[in-house]
Amino acid sequence: MKCTRCRKTAHVALPSHHSGFCADCYPLFFTKQVETAIRREKMFTRGDRILVALSGGKDSLALMLELKLQGYDVTGLHIDLGIPNSSDKARNKVENFCELNELPLRVFEMAAWGLPIPDIKEHIKRPVCAVCGKMKRHHFNRIAVEEGFDVLATGHNLDDEVARLFANTLRWDTAYLSDQGPVLPASDGFVRKVKPLFRLSEFETANYAFLKGIEIHSDPCPYAGGASFTSHKELWGELEHRSPGQKFQFYQSFLKKGKPAFAQVEKETGAELKPCTECGSPTSAEICSVCRIRAAVSESKAKAE
Amino acid sequence: MIIVNLEPDGKRIELNDTRSVLAVLNKLRLRSTMAIVVRDGELLTSDRKLSHGDELMVRKVTSAG
Repeated sequence: MKCTRCRKTAHVALPSHHSGFCADCYPLFFTKQVETAIRREKMFTRGDRILVALSGGKDSLALMLELKLQGYDVTGLHIDLGIPNSSDKARNKVENFCELNELPLRVFEMAAWGLPIPDIKEHIKRPVCAVCGKMKRHHFNRIAVEEGFDVLATGHNLDDEVARLFANTLRWDTAYLSDQGPVLPASDGFVRKVKPLFRLSEFETANYAFLKGIEIHSDPCPYAGGASFTSHKELWGELEHRSPGQKFQFYQSFLKKGKPAFAQVEKETGAELKPCTECGSPTSAEICSVCRIRAAVSESKAKAE
Repeated sequence: MIIVNLEPDGKRIELNDTRSVLAVLNKLRLRSTMAIVVRDGELLTSDRKLSHGDELMVRKVTSAG
């Protein structure tokens, strides 16, 4: 296969774009996709302070590097989950990456906050991935708000977005379907959230990370076995193989035709948010779910002792 | 024979009678956009031919999210 741009031997084939690119031209394709996402969705400007959530995986590190190369004011935020034989490796990758590329980094430790993820797994009878995700979103938002960032950027890619949309659709979850998208505007207590990689697949991000020499944390989370999210991605991988471009079409059509209808329903029936009486974060209940989980773990630990 | 180092599984696999990247991916039951394939630091598209003794890194791209 030849590079669509320069006719040298291609190193990356992209069936959904009917193209292939060599190692020199591929990063230009990647940059263009990110630029288009930022411009069309009005995500942020070069005057904005951007906090980038860094897990240590290929997507978040690729996003951080690409935004820096495009001249944006970026700061990384890594949450150390406190999972033995896993979190320290991810943290090392993030710290080394930021040091190598001279990028500012904040690290928040769940253990120092009093709630490492293994405690949640042991004491809460709910899927640990869902609770862990909730915790991460809470702290990403809280730190962005407290430290005056204009926007929080995450490395969610097209596969992440499609898998999430698919799961939300299977449940016809009106609340989630009403606001899923590449941009979640700021509102009381919530910073603006953006996903600049939403036009790019995991495969596309993995190629970029490899070509840029990014050392990634690729070990699977020891708690993530059998997560439905992963099996949805596999289903969509097969659909995409049979019909290249279907993922992007499903997602874009939802944004254009489906989301407005769900947003209207949610506007009429959705719950009103007010500050949590414990931590001040926005919630539809008196005490937010993060504070309730924290209290439930403390209670369970006290009983066990 | 082709040697495959599969990531993130950390497995080392030997494949016989395999002469292209596509054949390797088929034997691993992977589609071409589900993994990146690298030989001597070079990314390979699925149509590339392989030689006896080639050693590949096949890195699956799906993250747990």
